[in-house]
Amino acid sequence: MGSSAKKRKEKKKDFQKPKLKVGKTKSKAANFTDTSFKAKSIVLTQQSLSMNAPTVAAQCAHHLSLLTHKSDSQRRESLAYLTAAIAANPLGTALPLPPSVILPAVQRLILDGSNGVRQQLLKLLQSLPQGEIASHADQLLLHARAGMTHLAADIRIFALDILEWLIGVAGDEIVSCAGGWVKMLKCFLGLLGWDNDTLGKWSTPKSFGKATGDAKIQVKQMNALSLFLRAGLVPPHAAVSLAAGGNSFPLWETEHHILSERSSVYAHLNLFGAPRDEEAEMYEDREDRQKVFYDRAEAAIVAGIEQATKGGGELGRAAAQLRRVVKEGMADYHGEEIEV
Amino acid sequence: MGKRRVGALEKIDADLSNLQYKIRRDPASYKDDLQNQYNQYETLRDLFLQNPSTTDDSGLVSFRDQIEFVAHVADLYPTITARFPEDLIQLLSVHHEELETELRDKVVGSLVLLRNKDVIDSPTLLNTLFPILVSTPSRTLRTLLFIKILSDLRSSNAKATNHKLNRTIQTVLYNLLTDDRESSKGIWAVKITREMWKRQIWTDAKAVEIMKEASLADNEKVIIGGVRFFLGGDKEREEAADESSEDDDIDMDKLRHQAGINKKTKKKERELKKAKTIVKRRERKKNMPHPLNFSALHLLHDPQGFAESLFSKHVQTSKSKLPLDSKLLVLQLVSRLVGLHKLTVISLYSYFLKYCTPKQASVTSFLACLAQATHNLVPPDVLEPLVQKIANEFVSEAAASEVAAAGLNAIREICVRQPLAMNDTLLQDLVMYRKSKDKGVMMAAKGLLSLYREVGAELLRKRDRGKEATMGLKAGEVKERRFGEEALGEIEGIELLEKWKDEERRKKREEQGLPPDAAMDEGEDEIEDWRNWDIEEDDSDDSGGWINVESDGEDINISDSEEEKEPPAKKMKLSNDGSKTKKENSKSVEPEVKQISKLATTRILTPADLAKLQELRLANSITSSIPSAKRRAALAERHLDDPLTAAEIEAPGLLGKKKTKEEKIAIAKADREEHHQSTTARRKEKMLAEGKSTTNKEKARKKNFLMTLGKARGKQKRSLVDVRKTLKGHLERQKKGGRRGNRG
Repeated sequence: MGSSAKKRKEKKKDFQKPKLKVGKTKSKAANFTDTSFKAKSIVLTQQSLSMNAPTVAAQCAHHLSLLTHKSDSQRRESLAYLTAAIAANPLGTALPLPPSVILPAVQRLILDGSNGVRQQLLKLLQSLPQGEIASHADQLLLHARAGMTHLAADIRIFALDILEWLIGVAGDEIVSCAGGWVKMLKCFLGLLGWDNDTLGKWSTPKSFGKATGDAKIQVKQMNALSLFLRAGLVPPHAAVSLAAGGNSFPLWETEHHILSERSSVYAHLNLFGAPRDEEAEMYEDREDRQKVFYDRAEAAIVAGIEQATKGGGELGRAAAQLRRVVKEGMADYHGEEIEV
Repeated sequence: MGKRRVGALEKIDADLSNLQYKIRRDPASYKDDLQNQYNQYETLRDLFLQNPSTTDDSGLVSFRDQIEFVAHVADLYPTITARFPEDLIQLLSVHHEELETELRDKVVGSLVLLRNKDVIDSPTLLNTLFPILVSTPSRTLRTLLFIKILSDLRSSNAKATNHKLNRTIQTVLYNLLTDDRESSKGIWAVKITREMWKRQIWTDAKAVEIMKEASLADNEKVIIGGVRFFLGGDKEREEAADESSEDDDIDMDKLRHQAGINKKTKKKERELKKAKTIVKRRERKKNMPHPLNFSALHLLHDPQGFAESLFSKHVQTSKSKLPLDSKLLVLQLVSRLVGLHKLTVISLYSYFLKYCTPKQASVTSFLACLAQATHNLVPPDVLEPLVQKIANEFVSEAAASEVAAAGLNAIREICVRQPLAMNDTLLQDLVMYRKSKDKGVMMAAKGLLSLYREVGAELLRKRDRGKEATMGLKAGEVKERRFGEEALGEIEGIELLEKWKDEERRKKREEQGLPPDAAMDEGEDEIEDWRNWDIEEDDSDDSGGWINVESDGEDINISDSEEEKEPPAKKMKLSNDGSKTKKENSKSVEPEVKQISKLATTRILTPADLAKLQELRLANSITSSIPSAKRRAALAERHLDDPLTAAEIEAPGLLGKKKTKEEKIAIAKADREEHHQSTTARRKEKMLAEGKSTTNKEKARKKNFLMTLGKARGKQKRSLVDVRKTLKGHLERQKKGGRRGNRG
């Protein structure tokens, strides 16, 4: 092509030299882009203009705010920074930020989609001072429970890790917080597929659905359950040393009359919250817990253990451990019943 | 056997929609999954309730998804999800102000979904949504709730009227209005009621009662909403009904034709079947008796009390803070009530006295209201000063022509309704304006003149009375109607029917060989009547008889003019030859006192009778082609319910006005298409719009000319066959008269 006069002319145009004249400004190139702009003020959001470096606390606060960042790696790095800052804190001094600030911001990440973030989160939680966790246990437990019923399998597994850590740190608070005992039991039963109604029917296939999908997961779940039951049912050994303060003569049994050292002592009265039903109620006493456990879960769990032991292997071992815990925890309850 | 079912289940991974789909197919197998998800939902809800105003995205998204998921499958697991609706209701009603918008909308949507799946019932849903609608500060939520409430009300009234639900909702709306008259919340009651009225779902007195309360409220918005409903709600309803009946006409012939030509697929078959059912349903609907819908103004329980309290509360007192526009609306309503129900609100007329000056803003509306509020039971001495004042203020040589025309027209409109409001000196003065140079004034004065020629000729000067009125006065048959006198009621055309019946009987007797004029035996006649009860039956065996009457139609036509004056009783004395005597009868001009036909009072009219009556009336309507009769018919056409507007008062004033060029062009163009297009172009456009291809001929014409060069051949090189074809085609076209023929 290119035979027509028009096309020839067009081709020529590309190579024509612009004529320069003395005393005139140089004409702009054809591909020139105007990049000048006008602004009343320029605000630099990212850059700090202060001369001295920000304090650790400020940086921690910044990283806390970055925990909602959309990129996985950014969240993970912020968590890592926080972990490092807490770990670097010398013993005996206060943390750069109090746990009451860190925990509410961090606990959401239990349900985070990225594995790296969650693992880092566990590290952060483990680095926190253990005594501070107890007052936030109920919130953490809610998130852990949300994770345990999550649709994604790896989040479910991770939530068990969190739960195990939580039981280790604040086992007593967890089993006695509002909704902590019954709802958790129900949740475990659902996860293991040991629901009361499905057990009765012989035709229901046992390994049905992803709820009980993998033997490995099931083992982990049963281990977590046995830990949980141990925390709730088996009496703590330290309680035996009650008589220690019994001989301070004019005051007898003072420890029964002074306020408990736990936080929110009167929470069980539920003065300001919404009315609770049986599931959401707080079960602070071991006897209460035993009674509820007996009413709602024991039969199902025993039947489930039975089935799991038959499976043998790792599953069987976990089941055996679970059975030991149940026996140990419920021994005196059944003993009493027989006496009466 | 075969595939392991568990395998498919493992695929569900963080995908609720997939799980939802599977649950729908097999609810029993996925119960565990649902239980787990429900647990998850409960946990998330607990988490969320710790801090309802959270705007944290990731947590909310999952909560939202969980709510949607559970709502979709809740109907399959009623025991597990028993508490779900209550939870949602509580969440919404307690936290609706602080919820994040998307979540809030999702909760509303889920509740409606639950209602559609019959998990909850309508009253529960409406009792949840309505208080929020009234109280929420969010505009988007209000619109959403309004739409949802309306659609739910409509759907629960779709199959049959849900009286119970309607009653409860109406009571709620009524209470909303009466509890707090000051608040603007009542506007929602007005809006909902108006919409329901428009869609003919609520057509009862209770809805009107709600609107009545609204117009008696203290909040301006609510008042105006209520008043506007009475003024325009019924028209709106009619228009909506027309619209719904007009939408998408289905051309059954075309569809059938296409089905014969196009490829037969199952889809097309289904479409045809569907179209058939729709057409059939419409047909049936058309044949059904039209539902009697009373207008809102007629359904009012106590119009007198309503009009009085409206007038005294919003218009008369100086305490009312309504602006003039709103006040005028209320005044329009009051005057329509007064005119329609012939109420007596004496203070209303003296109120108008102040506003009847040309300087008053929107005075024509005031005049229209005044005319509307006039009826024949208003005492003339109340109206006389008003008419006098309008005449003094508006109608003078000094006033502008539009003003004078409007004044004259207003006076005419008042006097149409109450002729006694005029005295002779004033009337004679006003009638003089028919000599005015201005066309509008002249026409208005002529209107007044022609009115009084009919209703009160003795008030006019002798030379103005006209031929008819003068003769009538002389004969003494035109009499002035006195105050409070009412015309005798009758069934239009009943004497026609009576005459026809007589004739039929005579014919029958002749056939039987009996003397046609002998005293009729009622019993036999009546038996005949009952036999012909049904219209269809009657048509079949009576059609012959009707044609007989038609055959000597000319004498019927002649007799028509006299018909009203012809007493049916006279018929009995007539001689044998019916048609001849009728001719004589019609020509005799003897004045006869009009008698009221006894037929309707002595006999039960069968449906067949009524059908005949209608037929006779139609045949009789030849007189209606006379211009004056036409005008009268147009006046009669104006329904009593239609309001008198300011535009109608102003109309004669605009007669003399010169139009601008643009207006003239616009009027001339009004009923024509925008731009002209040839039929071919129009056809092509239509084909293109229907997604059809071009013809081969067209393709050939559009082809690049360079591409056709090789194949183009000169005339000389054609084969003999081609030449013959061309010649033959030429001959053919000559015979036909061109390519497209001579058809047009």
